[in-house]
Amino acid sequence: MDVTTSFVTQDIWTWWLAIYLYLGGMGAATLTTTFLTDMYLKPHPELVLWGAWSGIAMLGVGSSMLFGHLLDHMAVIHVLNPLVLFNQPHAWIAWGTQFIVWMMVWGFLYALPYMLESAFFGRIPLLRDILAWEWVQKVGRTCGRHCRLCGWAASINGIGTVVYTGLLLQSFPAVALWHNPGVPLLFTVSAFSTAMAFLLLVLNLAIKKREEDRPLRVLYERTDLMLIAAELVILFSFFFYLQRGSQSAAISAQLLWNNWGWLIGFIGFGLLVPFFLELKGVIKGWSSPAPIMVASVLVLVGGYLLRYYFMYAGVYAQPW
Amino acid sequence: MTRYAMVIDLNTCVGCNACMAACAAENQTPVWKNSWRTYVHDKEIGTGEDIHRRFFPRLCNHCSNPPCMSVCPTGATYQLDNGIVQVDEDLCMGCQACAMACPYAARFEVTYGDVREGREFFGEHTYRRRRPSVDKCNFCAQRVLEGREPACVETCVGSARQFGDLDNPDDPIRQMVASGTARPLMAYLGTEPNVYYIDDLKRRG
Repeated sequence: MDVTTSFVTQDIWTWWLAIYLYLGGMGAATLTTTFLTDMYLKPHPELVLWGAWSGIAMLGVGSSMLFGHLLDHMAVIHVLNPLVLFNQPHAWIAWGTQFIVWMMVWGFLYALPYMLESAFFGRIPLLRDILAWEWVQKVGRTCGRHCRLCGWAASINGIGTVVYTGLLLQSFPAVALWHNPGVPLLFTVSAFSTAMAFLLLVLNLAIKKREEDRPLRVLYERTDLMLIAAELVILFSFFFYLQRGSQSAAISAQLLWNNWGWLIGFIGFGLLVPFFLELKGVIKGWSSPAPIMVASVLVLVGGYLLRYYFMYAGVYAQPW
Repeated sequence: MTRYAMVIDLNTCVGCNACMAACAAENQTPVWKNSWRTYVHDKEIGTGEDIHRRFFPRLCNHCSNPPCMSVCPTGATYQLDNGIVQVDEDLCMGCQACAMACPYAARFEVTYGDVREGREFFGEHTYRRRRPSVDKCNFCAQRVLEGREPACVETCVGSARQFGDLDNPDDPIRQMVASGTARPLMAYLGTEPNVYYIDDLKRRG
């Protein structure tokens, strides 16, 4: 019967789901990175506030991409209920939803003590009044006393969210490109790489370029460099994995590696160019932050392109 | 125990599409947008003078290890003890992860717009669906419960579709499956499908 097999891509989850996977991974990795930095490397309230709120915003926008395309928006209540994990422990969307929700909750609680002390938040009308409420102050003080607990709870859920974005695709058995353990690994490395790039932009542009933050910027640059290198190695493995084996995999390889957007856009400008820009920064240094900021922007664009092309290159074999 | 399964003989399917029509009428599927619980593909195989026309009926394979069920975040896709995989439209939020997971392209969306259209198409008082969901074949579970065959099986003029119980040693479809005459689609994916096909190409040469 297999002589009639045809190979098709899908149009069910496309560019908008790539946004969900991209912002979900980057937002969670950003929040996690800033919290771990604050807890173990250098107390940095400003960075925590940027990490927490940009992470929550990215998760919010990303989740709205999935939510917007649900056929029945009211039924989402079933997956927001934490008990869903007992009924559907094998469904990654159930886990992902819980990771996202609890990462936001714990992320907010970790950032709350810093918000209470922040001059910026104290100037925002309405929010200023809310932050002055007695019970909010009490919650903030409690979270401040148990900041490690809040930080780790947020980070564990953040890492769960990052890995989930890959596990979700891995759970579709018919598509060789997706159904392999390399996908969660690739998406995790990419998510943390985009988070580093985003935080380098934050440290260089939003938080004034302070000399005391220099070691942090260097650390993020070096980490990003290693993550990009790891991503290239994983993609190299994917290339050879896809060449031999199932036809679904081979056709995905043809779709990806014959596509200029993937080759030049993602691998060229999204990985190789930032890799060499950051490599020079690490080895010899740059006289200006501009090349690192360019590299960061390219990494951010590359992160989306990876997920975009991954969604479009998934190939189903149909023996009819 | 009972494990329902279907055997489809590709040698006797004449491509009349009566199964599609019967299914659509029985299960009120959104035919206006060419969405069907079962679909008969019409394909020409071969080269030059040696061409065969093949009709290939396709439907949900009611897998024993259904990937659509394992990815469903709300539990809307579930399996009965008799092996039938069903959708609870009240639980389905329509994320379509099931459609992404299904190797047999058996899932399709039914939107709120389709529900409205369905009321007009099938009649306000007879249309049963109330909410959107990612729909699929359920082996006409409502008929099977009454001891009847699925609509597509009952209507098949060539007797290409046979429905039965794999756990019943006397059931003809069990014998066809056990002998290897009827084989599943893409069994290598580990889905353990319960729709089997009798190949036509060997006989046609």
